[in-house]
Amino acid sequence: MAPVVGIDTASIKDTNLKDLLDLLEGVRGKKVLFLDRTLSGPIGLFAKFSVLQDYGVDKIFWLDEPVTEHAQKNIVYLARCTVKNAYAIANQIKNNAKIPGQEFEYSVFLTPRRTLVCDKIFEDEGILGEITIRELPLYFLPLEPDLLSLELESSFEELYLRKDHTSIFYSARALMSIQRRHGLFPRIIGKGDRARKLADQLIRMRTEEDVEDGTGPGSLTPSSVLGELIVIDREVDFVTPLMTQLTYEGLIDETIGINNCKIELDASLVGPPQPQTQSGNVDGASSSRSPVPTASQKKRPVLLSSEDKLFDNLRDTNFAIVGSLLNKVARRLNEDYEGRHQAKTVSEIRQFVSKLGGLQQEHQSLRLHTGLAEEIMKQTRSEMFNKALEVQQNLVAGVDPSTMHDNIEELIARAAPLESVLRLLCIESFISGGLKPKDFENFKKEILQAYGYQHVLTLDALEKLGFFQSRITVAASTATRTSYTNLRKPLRLIVDEVNEHEPDDISYVYSGYAPLSIRLVQCVVQKPLMTAAVKGRRGEDGTNAGVNAGAVGWRGFEDILKSVKGTTFDEPQRGEEKAVRARNILNGQNDKKVTVVFFLGGCTFTEISALRFIGRREDAKRQIVIGTTAIINGNNIMKAAMA
Amino acid sequence: MTSAVSATADWEQLEDRFYRKILLYSELFGPDYDLNDYQIAGAPFSGAIALYKNDDVLQEFRSGAAQTKPSIEIYSSAGKLIRRIAYDKGPIRGLGWSEDEKLLVIAEDGTVRCYSDLQGDFTQFSLGHGVEMVRVKEVRFWSTGFVALLRTNRLVAVSRYDEPRPKYLADPSPYIEDAVIHSWAIIPPAYTLSRHVEVLLSTGSTIIVLDPTDAQDQDLQNGPFTNISVSPNGKYVALYTTQGKLWVIKADFQDKLSEYDSGMGSVILPRTVEWCGNDSVVIAWDDEVHMVGPQGHSLKHYYESRVHLIPDIDGVRLITSDKCELFQKVPDVTEDIFKIGATSPASILLDAVDQLEKKSPKADDNIQLIRSHLTEAVDTCIKAAGHEFSVYWQKQLLKAASFGKSVPALYSSDDFVDMCETLRVLNAVRYFEVGLPITYEQFIRLTPEKLIQRLVNRQQHLLALRVSEHLRLPTDRIYIHWACMKVRQSTDDEDSICRTVVAKLQGKRGISFEEIARTAYDEGRGRLATQLLNYEPQAGRQVPLLLNMEEDEIALDKAIESGDTDLVFFVLLHLKKKHPLANFFRIINDRPFAAALVESSARETDLELLKDFYYQDDRRADGAHVILRESMEAKDLQLKLEKLKVATKLLSDSKDHVLEAKALDESAKLLHMQETFERELNERFMGISVNDTIFRLIRTGYSSRALKVKNEFRVPEKRYWWLRLRALVAKRDWNEIEEWGKTKKSPVGWEPFFNECLAAGNTKVAAGFVGKCSNLGYKERLDMYMRCGLVLRAAEEASKGKDLEALEGLRSKAVGRDMVEVERLIKILKGGK
Repeated sequence: MAPVVGIDTASIKDTNLKDLLDLLEGVRGKKVLFLDRTLSGPIGLFAKFSVLQDYGVDKIFWLDEPVTEHAQKNIVYLARCTVKNAYAIANQIKNNAKIPGQEFEYSVFLTPRRTLVCDKIFEDEGILGEITIRELPLYFLPLEPDLLSLELESSFEELYLRKDHTSIFYSARALMSIQRRHGLFPRIIGKGDRARKLADQLIRMRTEEDVEDGTGPGSLTPSSVLGELIVIDREVDFVTPLMTQLTYEGLIDETIGINNCKIELDASLVGPPQPQTQSGNVDGASSSRSPVPTASQKKRPVLLSSEDKLFDNLRDTNFAIVGSLLNKVARRLNEDYEGRHQAKTVSEIRQFVSKLGGLQQEHQSLRLHTGLAEEIMKQTRSEMFNKALEVQQNLVAGVDPSTMHDNIEELIARAAPLESVLRLLCIESFISGGLKPKDFENFKKEILQAYGYQHVLTLDALEKLGFFQSRITVAASTATRTSYTNLRKPLRLIVDEVNEHEPDDISYVYSGYAPLSIRLVQCVVQKPLMTAAVKGRRGEDGTNAGVNAGAVGWRGFEDILKSVKGTTFDEPQRGEEKAVRARNILNGQNDKKVTVVFFLGGCTFTEISALRFIGRREDAKRQIVIGTTAIINGNNIMKAAMA
Repeated sequence: MTSAVSATADWEQLEDRFYRKILLYSELFGPDYDLNDYQIAGAPFSGAIALYKNDDVLQEFRSGAAQTKPSIEIYSSAGKLIRRIAYDKGPIRGLGWSEDEKLLVIAEDGTVRCYSDLQGDFTQFSLGHGVEMVRVKEVRFWSTGFVALLRTNRLVAVSRYDEPRPKYLADPSPYIEDAVIHSWAIIPPAYTLSRHVEVLLSTGSTIIVLDPTDAQDQDLQNGPFTNISVSPNGKYVALYTTQGKLWVIKADFQDKLSEYDSGMGSVILPRTVEWCGNDSVVIAWDDEVHMVGPQGHSLKHYYESRVHLIPDIDGVRLITSDKCELFQKVPDVTEDIFKIGATSPASILLDAVDQLEKKSPKADDNIQLIRSHLTEAVDTCIKAAGHEFSVYWQKQLLKAASFGKSVPALYSSDDFVDMCETLRVLNAVRYFEVGLPITYEQFIRLTPEKLIQRLVNRQQHLLALRVSEHLRLPTDRIYIHWACMKVRQSTDDEDSICRTVVAKLQGKRGISFEEIARTAYDEGRGRLATQLLNYEPQAGRQVPLLLNMEEDEIALDKAIESGDTDLVFFVLLHLKKKHPLANFFRIINDRPFAAALVESSARETDLELLKDFYYQDDRRADGAHVILRESMEAKDLQLKLEKLKVATKLLSDSKDHVLEAKALDESAKLLHMQETFERELNERFMGISVNDTIFRLIRTGYSSRALKVKNEFRVPEKRYWWLRLRALVAKRDWNEIEEWGKTKKSPVGWEPFFNECLAAGNTKVAAGFVGKCSNLGYKERLDMYMRCGLVLRAAEEASKGKDLEALEGLRSKAVGRDMVEVERLIKILKGGK
């Protein structure tokens, strides 16, 4: 990845760690830590267990674990500021009070902030006087130098199913922290009703900050580092996450599941213990309770990050070519090892030995990824996987959906995972504006009989979400829908000739389907290319700059955007003339600016890959940093509906 | 203080250094104010002084004012009354200050009051843990907390006042001889290794050091000690023995640094022992004061009445009823300049100014003399000016600096300018009307912001504003405080108060009208509060106050406007508690943002509320779903079915949910069937789906029952075939499969048979189905045979398809007899051509 010139994500990481350690240091002596399960992954991203140990953490338990004996006097809770957690903490403390002869000192660290509601619960439960409450302001967690996530696992469910806007508020806070550091985004561009809410919240926070901050010499001024902020509401394009991701990282996520950059693998695949992942991340901690797993079933967490150079090369490529890439690396590695025979003189041998560590590491990583690719291959070769793939590709391409129904029914009869069946049905519903009433009822019946009647609730949730609907419902509602039929042509959502080896278009991430969400981003950042597409010509590297070269925001695509669900907006943020100039003089006028693309409601690995692809193309003009509330895929979405 | 008295007039030499006693203010309390009767506490950094009439002394009546109600009086160092606070919590055991000039009053029963702004507003908390039974004996304070000694000899520490958490320290009782603590002191947390407050207790002949977890005996032999005092930097401890000796040791009890015999023997014990800076100790008896230097020599002073000592970081204030003095070591720079016979460059520079004023040419001679040290001399003069209380000498020193700095070609005047600015501020606050005799060093430690806060607390708004502007500091707090005071004290009508406040504050950055409105509300001026609140720019901030004012719906709207879900939720909790349910629902129903929050949280924590919510909103289907969820979670079959029935009933009321109602009916039917199967077959069925039931029945060999389920639930033929196929393969019932394969037509085609059998590893049975796949081309069939490893059969297919190329390709794969046969087929095909 390119060296960081714009947003310094590493420093965000450092700040997160420092904040946590400061809190721990505030509690004198050894302590027992009770951790919110959903936080272990996010915290593992920046803090190792050994570091926590250095700061006196003696033992870690899950917050929902019943623990009746405590070795330490200090008990620390670290949890998200939810109502549920507040009650869990209160109950534990009240239970501990029944332990005779022991007195405890309680500290409660809430993240990302201390809330009035938690305070109120603690007060009502009568423990407010016994605890010291502090807050740990975790907002953005850098997953990669170009990828910031809030890691709010349930943000999708909250936003769209529960209509709870907490994650909008947190997203605004997170983006605000970037604005506070680097200045205002000169423009906030976006699509979708909730995206609009986020933009409003950002603007509100900015004005409030202006009022609040009596000390500052001036209000926030537009940044000279940042370019535009593009907010994409997930609602704008639900089809993309429902499709099966076909990049390497995307497929790992689809088949094994990536959580907070980590996957759980059979120990046999990982090979000999890797010191860096083994020596304990936070989540490996609570071994006290879990039954001793037998050696064969033992899973081991593996961190997937760009620090693994091989993975960094593979992650964004289409899975079809991963095999040959691995092959190439294997051969090169072999040659490198063979190099030892050429080493004749002592200094040559020394040179070789000094390379050896790197080679071994590479070897290790090669073994891991070969194993992983094989594991995935088992799935991608299966008949059911291919059948599902075929159905979805046909659906997005606009083939008459009724021809696909036999296939879907067969998948149901063969007990394919419910998630994958529902994903297909939802894609159909989105693309063709709902299912025909007869089909709709038939599939409902099929699913209930095949997977159980409890899925009445799942189907209801999907209907409420607008994922799986009958045409009657669709026709009756006044809400606008994203019309893939209208957009397919002008935005070139379907690309027939895909070059997976040397991709020339983002559609390679789904082997032929270009994610709508990213096409929209392209409308802003690659105007010439997209204009050409709209006019019907194949986009030829933007030689046809045309009239729109200097246009900004959505300019030139207003009509197309009418076929996409939700509000369209483009808000310039201006500052005082003088302050802007001062800032420009101080920082120099950067030609290359950072564009932040923020996904409200989550994004997929394929979308990240596609944006990186665009980023490489646009390298001269801008750097793209991706922000998201969480990383999602179709299975997560379906699981949310099933909950 | 402005006259040209010699700068050294108040100096005294002790050992190799000089001390000075500066008269800060005179005519303090007047002669008839007998300080003997008072407990006195002074705030650090030359802050206010609190007086409280001692309970121990017999109450006596003073002329005129009968002491009916006990009260605490707060005075400035200049003896100006700032506030008299009525106090009715019984005997006071602790009176002290925090570094931000909060007054702490601890009553015998453990009630702590924290007066935050010198104006009588306080917050109150209790030391808790049954202290009210045990009683507080004494209290010691540090900059941000205090330790209270109880009558049981236990100690309780409070380390912050915004969220006080009284904590017991370790129990010292096992170490205490005869349960008598002779004296005690604390080391503030900033200076201890444990970063927690430590306590030194004198008992028997030794000293116990106590922290939250541990007590440690220091094994001293020279006790008991009647007084213990810890130096401001926490490094040294002064101990006064019953033999009248003063010991100074290091705080780690390793080295004894000096010993001093007061000559008082064991007869007259001192009232207090305090540190003056970090290098000398002041011992005060009723009217006699000894200042003991590092080598154990002393200076003695005598007074006419009792002297109270108020220690500070760089000196000690001496308070008697008629004057306030500062006792401190003469700062090094000052000593350098003014010491008799001083020849330092700075002192020569000062002399040069004198000569200059006399228009003597010696002025220039002086400059030439120190030319190479001029910068140093100027710096020293500037610093010394800061340490000077006399305006005359400040001016002289600054003049010298100004004269000196004009000589070198390059001299940065920043320090000079800063000092001029600072001295203006210091002189202004030292003025007796204000009465803050702060030293330069204290000012630097305290920071200008906190000094301004002190001015604000003394209602010196104009001065605070001027100082802020002079030092280019924010002024918002001053305006807010002013407005709050205005709201509280003005007797004008509410409209004109609002107008005055708004006129003054509008357009100023960082002004929180919420705070002002809250003050108005607390004063009972509700309408004024509402008016002011409208000017608050942050919607979120308005909410808590609106709730207090019972403007519930406005509060909810403002919370929603802020976009902060926590705030909305907080208001909702409040409303739910306060209003009848129907009313609560009415409020949220037309606010979707709030309704969604109620819905999603009720889903997690309060299902009954959720049902009520759906019911009143006529959302039957949603209500039914809640009950369905309950049914699913129910363990008991009967309960499950009952709940299911209720849900079905609710759903069938609405015509949009006919299908769902039917599904739930089916599900009840399935449960009944499953119960029967479980009873009859001794196999688990409960809770699995229709498909899984059929699958399991076939796999365990109960096909007829499976068929019954199929018919009951009208499972389509296709799906049933798939289920049966998969179940039989799983059962490995190949006979049955082959038997079944004799059927003429399959609704799913025959490839699934081939695929499933092959996947299960039975190539023989699988191969049997290839021939039935008549819908496929010969190539596919060829391929299928190959996958079964049947080269010959594959070859036959090739020959049927007359595909010579494929046939020749097969030749290499065939072995033995098969090869011969393949050759034959090739020959036939070639021949036939």
